[in-house]
This record gives sequence, structure tokens and C-alpha cells, in this order.
Amino acid sequence: MVRLQHRADSLLSTWREAQRLANLADSLERVRATAGSETIAVGALRIIANPSPLPLRDAAERAWPAIDSLYGSVAAELTEHPYVFRAVDPDTAVRRTVLHVGIELPWDLDVRATTRILLTTVTPPEFDHALADWLGATLRPTLRPTDEPTAVYLQLVTVPSEAVRGCFLGDIARCKDVLQLGDSNGLVGRWYVTPAEREALVSGVFGDYFARAGTAPSLQKCRQHRDDACTALLQSLPPGSLPRLLAPAARLSLVREALRAGGRDAYSRLVAHPEASMDTRLASAATMDIDALVARWRNGVLAARPVPLTLPWWAGVAALGWTAFFGFCALRSSRWRL
Amino acid sequence: MIAMFRAVLYTQWKWSRLIVVLGTVAAFAIPLLSLQGAARADRGALQAQELLRAVQSWGSLYPLLATALGLLMAITAWAPDHRGRHIHALTLPLPRWEYVLLRFGAGFVLLAAPIVAVLIGSSLAVLTATLPPGLQSYPIALAVRFALAVFVAYAVFFAVSAGTARTAGIILGVIAAVILVQVVAGIANIDLNLFGAAQTVLLLGPGPLAVFAGRWMLVDV
Repeated sequence: MVRLQHRADSLLSTWREAQRLANLADSLERVRATAGSETIAVGALRIIANPSPLPLRDAAERAWPAIDSLYGSVAAELTEHPYVFRAVDPDTAVRRTVLHVGIELPWDLDVRATTRILLTTVTPPEFDHALADWLGATLRPTLRPTDEPTAVYLQLVTVPSEAVRGCFLGDIARCKDVLQLGDSNGLVGRWYVTPAEREALVSGVFGDYFARAGTAPSLQKCRQHRDDACTALLQSLPPGSLPRLLAPAARLSLVREALRAGGRDAYSRLVAHPEASMDTRLASAATMDIDALVARWRNGVLAARPVPLTLPWWAGVAALGWTAFFGFCALRSSRWRL
Repeated sequence: MIAMFRAVLYTQWKWSRLIVVLGTVAAFAIPLLSLQGAARADRGALQAQELLRAVQSWGSLYPLLATALGLLMAITAWAPDHRGRHIHALTLPLPRWEYVLLRFGAGFVLLAAPIVAVLIGSSLAVLTATLPPGLQSYPIALAVRFALAVFVAYAVFFAVSAGTARTAGIILGVIAAVILVQVVAGIANIDLNLFGAAQTVLLLGPGPLAVFAGRWMLVDV
């Protein structure tokens, strides 16, 4: 026991030493990467880049309002997370020194493309692990605000799940289940409501996993439509391994809805208590009851229904016009001008 | 004039009845087949994705059918005249443009059958299907689009078919030249995308073939 304790202490000391060295290397690399660079400041955005025609200031002026409106008062902390860019000649084949800090960008990017890069690489301030795990993505300003709820609408309609269908039809409790808000006990039964769904999950996604000697007989029973065997197999899975019913866009759109509802300090309330449950954090951010927030999110998603694939009126007129045009060509055909 | 139109319509019907009948049967069957999965109530609720996939796959047959109908009807409308070297047409006591118009109109009348078949088939298919919540059916929009596609296809091939072999040769020559230039540009590493430009002109916006582009969905979100 004493020997093990000694080994553990030794490992800890080695790990700390490695951390110190890594931090030193990072620091030196940062100094090397930013040598001879200039700093552009727009709002709380700090961009360290070498002199180049890259329209970083214009892009930052476009990106800042979107970033500021998402993170609100916490966006001021972005001064501590500067972007490091190295603008490079896109046409040269000359080998460059390899940098391990920042991003290389061709200097011929236009303002639009540069803005997109700023928005998609911004470091979310105070973004904790619990939030990141629950979201399954990083919370950044969206480039196309209407696309996200539309994508969620399509999921609500097309995902082969009774729980998701229930959410689409207005069951808020089902919505909370599929968004994994609140009690996480009995998730198997609440996510995969029908025996058919559970059997499909076991046979499909986890077919190979359960085909091992220990669980193979249960898998066999499950495939013979024995729901108790399917449920038991799914309950034996390690926590967090059940596939989520909806893609990250659903949770991201819910967080955006909470931030919209909660005003400028919503993000700061969202990240204030990382130890709290997600429903509590979201309700706090939105300053409303979680059920009301989820109902509001659902209404927003339903309002984002994609436009049906019907022809616009002018396309019909154009088709008739072309029909008349080609008919006229036939009338004027050379065969008749003898 | 009406009697003359009837005569032209009758002769055109005689020449093309097999095409019209087969086209009408196909136009009636495609919507029904595309929704066959949704006709069973026991698999309605959870099959939205599969259903949309099937509808989309079957949907690619509508523009093909419209093109085939337009092409075959246009060829059939002119084939006997071409065979007779247009002697019969030249002996008729009416201006030639009127004769062409009668042929053109007769073709449209005959093409109404497959268009109505799409409308009836689509309506019947969505009435007998159990659609999952959130999905909508668009039988009228589909029939209208099919009608427009058939009209455009028929008009294009009618115009080509009404022309001389020289005209057809010029059209084919232009297409071949575009392909040749594109191939040469590719070999010479020249940044020239004629296919892309042609696609934009023909298939996008108010282009002549825009009605054929995109997904043909009887059922969608």
C-alpha cells in the first residue's frame, strides 16, 4: 500500500512537471507566433495577426455585434482569448515555419469569409464541461439564424421516435425528455418509448456490442421480440452511451432561445453555476419556467417550418413563356420557308 | 377550322395512342407506387424518413416521364409528314403556320390525359395513405408542375422535329462544340466552366428547363 502511494505521488509529481513544461512551451510558442504582429481591437475582440491585406478589422466590426449579442455581458471577457492569425500568401509554394498556435489564413480572403472565420472560431467565455457535454457542440454565433430551427423542425418530423413525435405534437414533457432536461433516470424508457424502437436500437446500433458471449443469449431473445431482454440490455449500457434522439442543433437552438429570452445577462446566468442541472441553468438564463422555455422553443421551431417545394408563380409563367417561344420557333421553322 | 382541328387531332391520336395510353398508365401508377409504404396504417407513425426517401426516389420518374412523353409525342406528330416529304401538308388549303398550330394544339390536347392521370393518381394516393404528422401532400402542385414540364418538353422537341435535318445538325453541332471547348479548356488548364454556365442558364431561375430541376415531391414537410 505504501509502495502504491509512493508510486501515485511520483506520478503526480511527474504530471505536474509535464504540465509546467507544456505551459512553458505554449508560452514560448505564443511569443514566437505573435512576434512582429499587430493587435486589432474591436469591442472585446482582440486579433493578433501579421501585417497583411486580410480585412480583419472590417470582419471584426461585422462579427462583434453577433458575438456580443450572444454572450452579452460576458463577451467582455473575450479580451483574454485573443485570436492569433497568420496571414499567408495563397499562391506561394515556399515552405513556412510550422506554428502550433493560432490559425493560418490566406491573405486574399474577403470580408465575408473572414467574418465567418471569426464567428466560427471564437472561444466561448466560461464555457464549462457540463454545458459542453450536454450541448454536444460549442456555443457560437450562428451564421444562418433561420437554418438551425428549420433543421430541428425536420428532425422533429422525420426522426423515427415516438418521443420526438410526441414533442412535435405538443407534449412538453416529451420535449424535455428528448432534450435531456430534468431527471435522467429511466432514460431508456422515455427516449425509446415503444418495444419496436428498443429492439431496433439493440439490434442495430448495439448489435455487435451485445453479440459477445455474456450478452449474446439476451440479444437473441431481444431479436425474438422479447422486450424485457431488450430493455435489460439497454439498461446495462454505461451512462451516456445511449444515442441522442436529436442532433446538437436542437439543444443549441434551445440555448439560443433561453439567451434571447433572458436578455443581456442571460449568458452570464447560464454559466454562473456549472454544478446545477441543465434545466435549472436554462430556466435561470431565460428567467422563466423551464416548461415555458421549452414551449417557446417548440413554437419557434414549428414557426421555422421549411418552405414547401412548390413552384413559384413566376416559374409557371416562365415555363408557359418558353412553351410559347418554342412553339413560335416551330411555326417559323425553315422547313416552311421554301 | 374546328373540323380541321378534329381531323388533325384524330390522325395524331391514331399515330400516338399507344404512347398516350402507356404514358397515362405510368402517370397514374407512379404516385400510387411512391406512396405504397404509407398505405399501410401499421407502419405510418414512425416511417416519415423512409417515406420521404421513397417519395423522392419515385419523384425522379416524373421529369423523365414528362420528357419521354414530350419527345415521343413531338416525333410522332411529325413522323408521317417527314415520311411523305410534306406533300400532303403542302396540298392542304390553309397557311402552313395554321397547320403547325393545329398539330401543336392537338399534341397538347392528347397530353392532357397523362397530366390528368397524375392528378388523379396523386389525389388517390394521398387519400389512401396514412401520412405521419408533420408531412403534407401536394397533389395539385405536382400535377401542375408535371403539366408545365410536359408542355415545355413537347414544345422543345416539337420545334426541333419541325425543323430540317440541317437545323437539328446545327443544334447538335452547338452542343458538341460546347463539350469540345470544355474538354480542351480542361486539358489546357483554363478556368472555363461552360457546363456550369449552361446549367445556370438552362436550369436555374427562369431558364427553359428550370421546371424540371429540383425535387419532385408528392409528400413533403
